[in-house]
Amino acid sequence: MDMNEIKEIFFQECEEQLAELESGLLKLNDGDRDPETVNAVFRAVHSIKGGAGAFGLDDLVSFAHVFETTLDCVRSNKLEPTQDVLKVMLRSADVLADLVSASRDGGSVEESRTRGLLKELEALARGEMPSGGAAVETPKPAPAKAAAPAPAAAAAPAPTDESGFQPIPFTFEGFGADEPAEDLSTFEVTFKPRRELYAKGNEAALLLRDLSRVGEMSINCDMDQLPAFDKMDPEEAYFTWTIQVKTAKAEQDIRTVFEFAEWDCDLDVKLAESSAEELPMVPVPFDLSILDDGASDEDGDDAGAAEAAAQAIAAAETASNVTKMAAAAARVEKKESQAAAAAAAAAANAANAANAANSAGQTIRVDLDRVDRLINLVGELVINQAMLSQSVIENDTTGTSSINMGLEELQQLTREIQDSVMAIRAQPVKPVFQRMSRIVREVADMVGKSIRLVTEGENTEVDKTVIDKLAEPLTHMIRNAVDHGIESPERREAAGKNPEGTVKLTAKHRSGRIVIELSDDGAGINREKVKQKAIDKDLIPADSNLTDEEIDNLIFMPGFSTADKISDISGRGVGMDVVKRSIQALGGRISISSRPGNGSTFTMSLPLTLAVLDGMVVTVAGQTLVVPLTAIVETLQPEASAIHSFGANQRLISIRNSFCPLVDVGRILNFRSSQANPVEGVALLVESEGGGQRALMVDAIQGQRQVVIKSLEANYTHVPGIAAATILGDGRVALILDVDAVVAASRGQSLRQDTGMKSDMSLAATG
Amino acid sequence: MASGKAETGSLKLVSVLDLNEASVLHGQLSSMRGNDLSIDASGVDRVGVQCVQVLMAAANAWEEDKKQFVFEKVSDAFRKTMQLIGINIDHLLAKEIQQ
Repeated sequence: MDMNEIKEIFFQECEEQLAELESGLLKLNDGDRDPETVNAVFRAVHSIKGGAGAFGLDDLVSFAHVFETTLDCVRSNKLEPTQDVLKVMLRSADVLADLVSASRDGGSVEESRTRGLLKELEALARGEMPSGGAAVETPKPAPAKAAAPAPAAAAAPAPTDESGFQPIPFTFEGFGADEPAEDLSTFEVTFKPRRELYAKGNEAALLLRDLSRVGEMSINCDMDQLPAFDKMDPEEAYFTWTIQVKTAKAEQDIRTVFEFAEWDCDLDVKLAESSAEELPMVPVPFDLSILDDGASDEDGDDAGAAEAAAQAIAAAETASNVTKMAAAAARVEKKESQAAAAAAAAAANAANAANAANSAGQTIRVDLDRVDRLINLVGELVINQAMLSQSVIENDTTGTSSINMGLEELQQLTREIQDSVMAIRAQPVKPVFQRMSRIVREVADMVGKSIRLVTEGENTEVDKTVIDKLAEPLTHMIRNAVDHGIESPERREAAGKNPEGTVKLTAKHRSGRIVIELSDDGAGINREKVKQKAIDKDLIPADSNLTDEEIDNLIFMPGFSTADKISDISGRGVGMDVVKRSIQALGGRISISSRPGNGSTFTMSLPLTLAVLDGMVVTVAGQTLVVPLTAIVETLQPEASAIHSFGANQRLISIRNSFCPLVDVGRILNFRSSQANPVEGVALLVESEGGGQRALMVDAIQGQRQVVIKSLEANYTHVPGIAAATILGDGRVALILDVDAVVAASRGQSLRQDTGMKSDMSLAATG
Repeated sequence: MASGKAETGSLKLVSVLDLNEASVLHGQLSSMRGNDLSIDASGVDRVGVQCVQVLMAAANAWEEDKKQFVFEKVSDAFRKTMQLIGINIDHLLAKEIQQ
């Protein structure tokens, strides 16, 4: 692994730390006073600083250092994390993020910004310190050294591994290793166990082992108390140890090791005054140096074989033991490391490799391209498998059971592979949501409003492609909400509202799609103004009579902007039509509902994945259609007695004592002009986005199948009422029904009218 | 087990030398007193301080008796633990395995 790769990993880690930092700060902002939250925030900054130090990124280090110092004041309760303090911290987090990306991609961050914030941070660290002292435990944060002893307090149980080179020096485990030159103190520990210590099942050797993890340790065992062999009591405690521990941690951490034994031993921990050693100290084996130059001294393994190979194995074994004990995390399979090490024949290397394996933990980073390629291939596999089973069924009417069973197994396997591959791509929407909070902050600052972003359901998972493409429309909408949606604090107060506005961003799964809602508690849409504007811009005829909903939807029309003056933030000519287009390009829909005086809510519904879909293959007027299975609640065969006419040409079906509108899919899609007879077909009870149920009428059900989605827009053009297309097992193309569009079309207005604008836009989009 | 210089006892240590084993070990060693002793510690997985105390006291006793007390083979765990608790057993190791 070369330096660049390590650096790349560092930056990836930084992203995670920054996310952690921001979410922690936001939690604090919401009044969370859990010390663990403060610690998490502190750790994030500290880790970034540590890693940046390793790569010589001085700007980053110096900023992180001051930031960390101020955070330390919060952690030690010297600074109350008030809203004002957190405002500075959140901005600092933003600058830190900018500094990280500047370090990665080149470029620089405005120095004035950094310097201004540094001053503010320093002022916080200094100014708000209680004058009454109490700074006994933690040194003042001002001197540069202060940062180092502080992390020790948080670092309590984490084993510090200083035994070798760590490929990722900025993880939390690396704490002590961050500043090797700085603040290593030597403690002298005198440890005399009493008989009771052993009697209670404690073992001095284990305590010493734990102690060796605190730092570099040298030990002397005093055996003077040991009586003559025949006079001794085998269960008495005779040994006393004097131990020197060189560590970046605090005395407390050393005492923690003996926590459970402190009543049963004489323990003395003090700072070693000088390096003058009166007692002959033996360095303990957890320091790799002894393996390098001294392994031969006490190397005495199996059978005393002196061959080089055997030595190498023994040395490697030692190395793997060291790693095991020091890292204490996942057990390294001894055999494995033995074999690997025998080949490598270098003990130190083996230890490093094992170390790397340990710290890699449970995730790997994979190039997205590779995942995409895999997904494409799996898509093809699914189609191929469908084709294969179809042709087997067609050609082999006798139905040899072994072939059929094999095919079934193949189908199941394909399905499992597909699910697993899709799971690789599924990601929580959290990162996108977190980015939004920064945008809210910045825009709110710019327009002088005070706005809180509340997020819900950040852990809702959705396909990576969807996430990536979501950021842009969301950003746009958030800007709009902050700039136009929420009123100025004065106006809010005048209206009897909390001067602080709230923008709420939620994500949830509903019927196989992800629904993202963005709502604000602002003024809502000024329908008069919107309508007038649309008339002024010749978007609608002056005499048109529009419902509230239709007026609200006008804002999605191309070239529409309601802001009186074009501001920096929004209204740069690209309006909500672009947002709508990007959402549609993702196979999603967007709708708005607004209550004057109470705010607006934008609802976006997006598919979870853009690649595959479980569908029910149906026939409508001789055409094969696929209905997404996620939309279907149940299927039923209507009986004549259950069908009721309603109005001119509406029909209802009664299902378990409730009425549900019957939607003739064939009519709506213009497959046929006459109404189909419901009794001859099948009704699919579907749940639509609005939450209501509709019964879609189709002629027959062919079966259920997993289909690979092929975009219609990309290959043809948008077709109203159709979401996408797919290739069936026999090679024919089938259309995938857009259930919500069809349901919407059944609600009075025809599909054409409703989507006329949409299809124009799609045409424009696909050229 | 008659007297005589050539008499060499050998003792294979069990794999877990914990608190309970200390008295047992003491008893075993007591019965071998007076003879050269070669100890096989190659099967030791875990050794507690109290057994080490017994072994060290025995080593002293054997030295007083001018008899040989050697560790013929030692396991890695045994050697490591000795190092960890700061006890040098180099001089007690059999010549062949001292390198």
